[in-house]
Amino acid sequence: MSEPALKTPFAERASVALKDAFLQEALTIATTKFIGLQKESFAGFPQGDALRDRARAIKEATLQKLDHYLEMLADNVEKQGGHVHWATTGDEARDTILKLCRDRGVKMAVKSKSMATEEIELNDALERAGVRPVETDLGEYIIQLAHEKPSHIIAPAIHKTKGQVADLFSRELKERFAADPEVLTAAARKELRQKFFQADMGITGANFAIADTGTIVLVTNEGNGRMVTSLPRIHVAVMGIEKVIPSMTDLMVFLAILARSATGQKLSVYTTLVRGARRPSEVDGPGEFHLILMDNGRSPQIAGELREALYCLRCGACLNVCPVYRQIGGHAYGYTYQGPLGILLTAMLNGNRSVKDLAHASSLCGACQEVCPVRIDIPRMLIALRRRLDRERIAPLTERLVFKTMRRVLASPALFRLSVALGRVAQRAFVRDGRLGSLPLFFGKWTKTRDLPPLAARTFSERWKDLA
Amino acid sequence: MATRAEFLERIGREVRRAPGLFPASAAERPARPGEAAAAVRRQMAERWPEALERFKREFDRVNGIFHRVGRLEEVVGVIRDVAREKDARDLITWAPGELGLDLRPRLGPDGLSVAVAPSDGQGDAGRRYREAAARAQIGVTSADFALAETGTLILISGAGRPGSTSLLPDTHIALFGKERLLDTLEQVGIMLEALHADPAGPTSGSVINFITGPSRTADIELTLTRGVHGPKDVHAIFVEGR
Repeated sequence: MSEPALKTPFAERASVALKDAFLQEALTIATTKFIGLQKESFAGFPQGDALRDRARAIKEATLQKLDHYLEMLADNVEKQGGHVHWATTGDEARDTILKLCRDRGVKMAVKSKSMATEEIELNDALERAGVRPVETDLGEYIIQLAHEKPSHIIAPAIHKTKGQVADLFSRELKERFAADPEVLTAAARKELRQKFFQADMGITGANFAIADTGTIVLVTNEGNGRMVTSLPRIHVAVMGIEKVIPSMTDLMVFLAILARSATGQKLSVYTTLVRGARRPSEVDGPGEFHLILMDNGRSPQIAGELREALYCLRCGACLNVCPVYRQIGGHAYGYTYQGPLGILLTAMLNGNRSVKDLAHASSLCGACQEVCPVRIDIPRMLIALRRRLDRERIAPLTERLVFKTMRRVLASPALFRLSVALGRVAQRAFVRDGRLGSLPLFFGKWTKTRDLPPLAARTFSERWKDLA
Repeated sequence: MATRAEFLERIGREVRRAPGLFPASAAERPARPGEAAAAVRRQMAERWPEALERFKREFDRVNGIFHRVGRLEEVVGVIRDVAREKDARDLITWAPGELGLDLRPRLGPDGLSVAVAPSDGQGDAGRRYREAAARAQIGVTSADFALAETGTLILISGAGRPGSTSLLPDTHIALFGKERLLDTLEQVGIMLEALHADPAGPTSGSVINFITGPSRTADIELTLTRGVHGPKDVHAIFVEGR
C-alpha cells in the first residue's frame, strides 16, 4: 500500500527539524552514544568481521531460493498447528488481521514493536474497526499516547524530554508523575501489565523466521515481546518475506552481530524463539498462532536494483552514522523507514515518486555501508535511484537539464575547456570575498545554503602542462 | 488474498529472473546434529571451569546476580535469603521434576506460598498456577543452557516449565549445573539443531527464551532503567554437585 502524500515538502520538514534546538541536541547525544557503543562492541570482537561476511552471504543465499524457504517455513508452521496467511499487499495483511479480530471478538490488542505493522499503519485501521491497539515497547507507548510517529528505529521517542513524557503520562494516566525515567518506567510497567492480561490478541513482527523449524524470532530488551506472545489468547506475527532464514545455525550468526550493531550489547536481553501456539501440556501461551507473510512491494526488487536492501536487519546503525539523519532526525523523512536504508525501503514500498527529494538526502559518504552488519551497499543503490528518477522524469526539469548538460560537458575535453573559460568570465559578477555566495536562476537554490569556491584562474590540466 | 500457490509462484518467478549478487550459501549445519551435540558436551566436560568464569563475568556485566553452591539442597537457603530481602510472599516454580527439587516442603514453613507448575496445562491446576504467577514476586526455574560468551540463560518451555515463571515475577532465579555450560553462540546453534532433530527430545514446548540479564530500557532520554516489563533482578545459582 502507499502512504498518503505528505502535505509539506521534504526541504520544509528538514528545515523545521534544523531549527528545533532540543531535537538537535537529542539527536547528537543519541546518535553519538549509539555510534560509541557499536564501535566499542565490535572492537572487542575480532570475529565480528568474518561473521558480518557470513551474515551477508546467508541473506544472499536465502534470496536466491526465497520461494523454497518461504514454503518450508509455511509447512513447518502449519505442522505445528499454526495458520499461515499470504498477503501480497499491505492492505491484504491489514484486512487479514481485522478479519481475525472480527471473527474472534477481539476488543484489545497488545503490540510489541514491529516495523511491518507500522508500514501498514495497522493501529489506525484497528481503531477504526473498534479494536484498541496498545503499543507496549516503552518508546512506542510514549509515541502512541502523544499521537506521534517513531523518530528512530531503536529509540522511537528520542525526540522527547523526560519532562514531556512526565506531562504526557500525568495527563493520560490521570496521576502526577515526576520527570524521572525510573518513575515513568515504573508507571508504564504497571499500566501495561494490566493490558497484557486484558488483551485478546498479541501482535508482533519478526526479527527472523527460521524455515527449517517454523520458528519466529523476536528480539527485545524490555520483555514486552515475551508478554505479547504468552498472555493473550491469540498471537499474530506479521513479517516481510525477506525475514526468513534457513536454519538455527544461521540464526546464531545474526544474533552475534544484531544487538552489537543496534545498541552495542552482546545480545539483547530477550531473544524469544516462538514455535506456534501453546502445546496442550503447557500452562501459558496463546491458543492460536497466525503468521502473515507480507510482500507489499518487496518481490519486484528480488530481481530489481534494490535487491540488497532486502538484506536489512533493521538494526538502525545506518541512521546513527548518517550525517543527514543526525541533522534532521527521523520525522523529516516523512515515512515509516528512515535514514539511508529507509530511503531505499520507502522507494520499494511507496514507489519512486515518494523519494523524489529523499533520494538526495544523502551525502553518499559511505558511512552507512561501513557500519552495516550485512554490508549493504546503500550509496550504490541511492545513486541508482537518482538515475531512475531522472529516467522516469520524476526529477524536476531543471535538475535533469543541469545533469544532462554536465554529462555532455564533462565527456568532451573541448566543451569542458570552453565552459571553464566562459565560466571564469561569467562568475566575476558573483565572487565576494573569494567565494561564490549567491548565483542567479536555479543555481540560486544551491548557493542559498552553500558557498562555492570560484573557478580557479588556471585549471589543473593547464598547470599540469607546465610541469610536464 | 493470493493463494499460497499464486504467492509462491510469483516469488519463484522473480527468483528465477535474478542472477544473484554473488555466489552464496547459508551457514554450514552439522550433518549429524546428535553427534555434534555429543562432541560439544565432551568438550565442555573438560572446559566447564573456564566457561563458568566467563559466564560469571558476562552475567555480572549485564547486571545479573551470580551464586555458587556445592549441593542442590543449598539452593533453598539462597532462595530464602532472596525472598527475605525482597519481602516476598508468593513464589512460583517449575515442576519438581524439571527443577530437581520440590520447594513446597522446604519453603512452606518460612511462610512463603509456593505454586508449582502443573504438567498438564489445561485444567484447574493450570488456572491456579496462572493466577499465582500473576501475583508472585519470585519465579524459580532451571536453565537448560548457560551461555558464557554473553552471560545468557537459555530456557526451553514445556510441560511443567512455563515461560511465565521467568517473566512475570519481579525476581527470577535460575539453577544450573556444570553440564549446562556452553561457551559460544555457535555451540548453542549445534545444541538447538540437535534438539530439533531429535523427535524424542524435549522439543514439545512452544518457546525457547534467551535471557541476558534483567529487563531493561533506555527509551526515555537514553537513561538505562531496569525492570520495564520483565524481572528487575535475575539470579543464577550454579550448583556444583548433586
